[in-house]
Amino acid sequence: MSKQINVALIGNPNTGKTSVFNQLTGLNQKVGNYPGITVEKKEGICKLARGVKAHILDLPGTYSLNTTSLDESVAVELLLNKNDKDHPDVAIVISDVENLKRNLLLFTQIKDLKIPVILVINMADRMSRKGISIDITLLEEKLDTKIALVSTRKGTGIDRLKELIADYKNLSTAPNVDTTVIAPEYFDKLRTTFPKQDLYKLWLVITQDVNFMPIEKKLIKDTSSFATKSSSELKRLQQKETILRYQFINGILKETYKVDLTAAKGFRATLDKILTHKVFGYLIFFIILLTIFQAIYDWSSYPMDFIDELFASASEWVKNTLPPGMFTDLLAEGILAGIGGIVIFIPQIAFLFLFISLLEESGYMSRVVFLMDRIMRPFGLSGKSVVPLISGTACAIPAIMATRTIESWKERLITILVTPFTTCSARLPIYLIIIALIIPEGRILGLGYQALTLMMLYLIGFGAAILSAMVLNKVLNIKSRTFFVIEMPNYKLPMLKNVAYTVWEKTKSFVLGAGKIILAISIILWFLGSNGYSEEFNDAEAIVTERVQSEGFSNFNQSAIADDLRSYTKALNDSVSSGVYDISALAINDSLEQKKATLSETALQQEISSYKLENSYIGKLGKGIEPIVKPLGYDWKIGIAVLTSFAAREVFVGTLATIYSVGSDQEETIKHRMAAEVNPETQRPLFNLASGISLLLFYAFAMQCMSTLAIVKRETNSWKWPVSQLVFMSVFAYLIALIAYQILK
Amino acid sequence: MFQSILVYIILAIAVGYLIKKFLLPRSLFVSGSDKSKPCGQDDCGCH
Repeated sequence: MSKQINVALIGNPNTGKTSVFNQLTGLNQKVGNYPGITVEKKEGICKLARGVKAHILDLPGTYSLNTTSLDESVAVELLLNKNDKDHPDVAIVISDVENLKRNLLLFTQIKDLKIPVILVINMADRMSRKGISIDITLLEEKLDTKIALVSTRKGTGIDRLKELIADYKNLSTAPNVDTTVIAPEYFDKLRTTFPKQDLYKLWLVITQDVNFMPIEKKLIKDTSSFATKSSSELKRLQQKETILRYQFINGILKETYKVDLTAAKGFRATLDKILTHKVFGYLIFFIILLTIFQAIYDWSSYPMDFIDELFASASEWVKNTLPPGMFTDLLAEGILAGIGGIVIFIPQIAFLFLFISLLEESGYMSRVVFLMDRIMRPFGLSGKSVVPLISGTACAIPAIMATRTIESWKERLITILVTPFTTCSARLPIYLIIIALIIPEGRILGLGYQALTLMMLYLIGFGAAILSAMVLNKVLNIKSRTFFVIEMPNYKLPMLKNVAYTVWEKTKSFVLGAGKIILAISIILWFLGSNGYSEEFNDAEAIVTERVQSEGFSNFNQSAIADDLRSYTKALNDSVSSGVYDISALAINDSLEQKKATLSETALQQEISSYKLENSYIGKLGKGIEPIVKPLGYDWKIGIAVLTSFAAREVFVGTLATIYSVGSDQEETIKHRMAAEVNPETQRPLFNLASGISLLLFYAFAMQCMSTLAIVKRETNSWKWPVSQLVFMSVFAYLIALIAYQILK
Repeated sequence: MFQSILVYIILAIAVGYLIKKFLLPRSLFVSGSDKSKPCGQDDCGCH
């Protein structure tokens, strides 16, 4: 039978723990040159020599065992709690070759817990470039451990690490530092009161909010023979402990670690000076954002058109090939239209994630966080809130989970509440389709109006987030302070594999995650749109035919028929005069009559379909809610799309695609269908500047995501906050959209 | 007739899926190991 051992990967943030985890387990967890990627433990299996299996746990980054935030306490809890099924048989401390001194603080603390520990020095490929040399043998001897020099980038050192894990029983468990010297009398008392307990573990239990030892904190406090110190005294002792550890580490590194500073600092320091400059830094960031949004538009238009036409043709093919019936209609008008409405945005989503991934991998994103810290402070937030806000451009759910790195409850709560304002990828399909319909394609200084509008929407989202934070900071009566320390990772060329993986994973989860919901909603919508209970629905054909015979077609159809006939006549006359056709005036007249009959038949079918849809189940429901959305410039169809998109924002486009295709026999793209929609009252296009801007602003501010509400409930452990968030964001979005429409109409 | 039956079956599956996704507690459907699955993976509700 094969044996399984527990292995914990621990280290400072951004030292490459997840990269080591991926190489050991063969899994593909998200990695990035960006602190705070891992906020929950992740697990995988690694096969070692002699049939031994290692159960590997990747823990969130922590600078020391003196924890300050939720994510850091995950590591401490596991190390102190021997009863935990995942308690490690061996711990691996991952360090970064350029920050070894700071990383060793955590190493010595874990070593003093008497857990077998291996030191991994990662990013070894940078040593020669940075002028670093390490005497590994001497360092192993001084730290009383085994060391693996690893480069996850080049894939070196992993085999040596696997050997060391397999031989973990040979590792020394002797402590590195004698902590008792910081307060001998205090520790003597502790030893006398709890003779069977490990002193350093007791010390950690006393100084943190962790209660997982056989002896719990409460018991220590309740033991009358032992008086615990005040929290300020304990903090002072913790500081003494840290100094003692750094003295130990400095002594060792002096002999074993050499660095040629001139080679190491030059380029990075200059680049940092420019990229975090209080003027140029923001300017460069602004230019990068502009470039990204322009590229999203320029690069994705061809694949988008291709996908759009592909789905339109597929729908047509299904109708022409399969036997007529309900299922064929469902497939052509419901499923293909609904899914096509979302798949079309894959190129733009992929390009957005490509850029975000490149910024993260290169190390630039951490500079952005640093830059934003200056902006955030006056609004009551720290730079730590920037990480979730920037992550929110992908999806609010992992972004809200990333708030676990924020120590202060007040700051964390504010960040959780304002993060959904950040423009997530689910808003992108709505923005893109509405912008394409209402904003012209022209350019100014090489930048498209459409790209600029998209960027404005991102800035509006970010602005709404920080302004709401300012208000919440004043309103919420919670006292707490926090500090902000950000790791500045080195600049590096993004690894193609990591970038490609991020783009693939994010795009896949966008399509599959929302795709299933959109598919289900499309099916239900199609059914509700194709069936009805009223007489009007059942007798639609007779009612509309009679109306057309007595009153004629609607104004819109009349002008459409006239336009089509005009262009047909012109084309026919041009062909005759240029000699392409040689036909008589009588034949021309016949041809025109025939064309008119075809156009009239199409218009009649359209009016019947439209009348049936209005009197179907969905039409009745839509008409019911129309009074609520009408002041915003929307008709009942948009109202239904807004309602269904409460499940997830991207459902909006899929819903409209399905509603507009119900009963339609024509091969048309979703964009054309939306552009052809007419407001029956004004006889103007339904998607005009006023209603379009109103929709854009509604979706910029509204909390249209059930999954986000669920995660806010989980993270705040209360319904009070998600419900407040939902009510505030929905009312605010409605009012802003209303004002925008009423001004612009 | 056959097409109609097919449509009603698909409709029932779609309604069932949405009820499961949004109305019923997640704990009813996931096993112990899946409950600890971090967000960002399939079916975590994030997209």
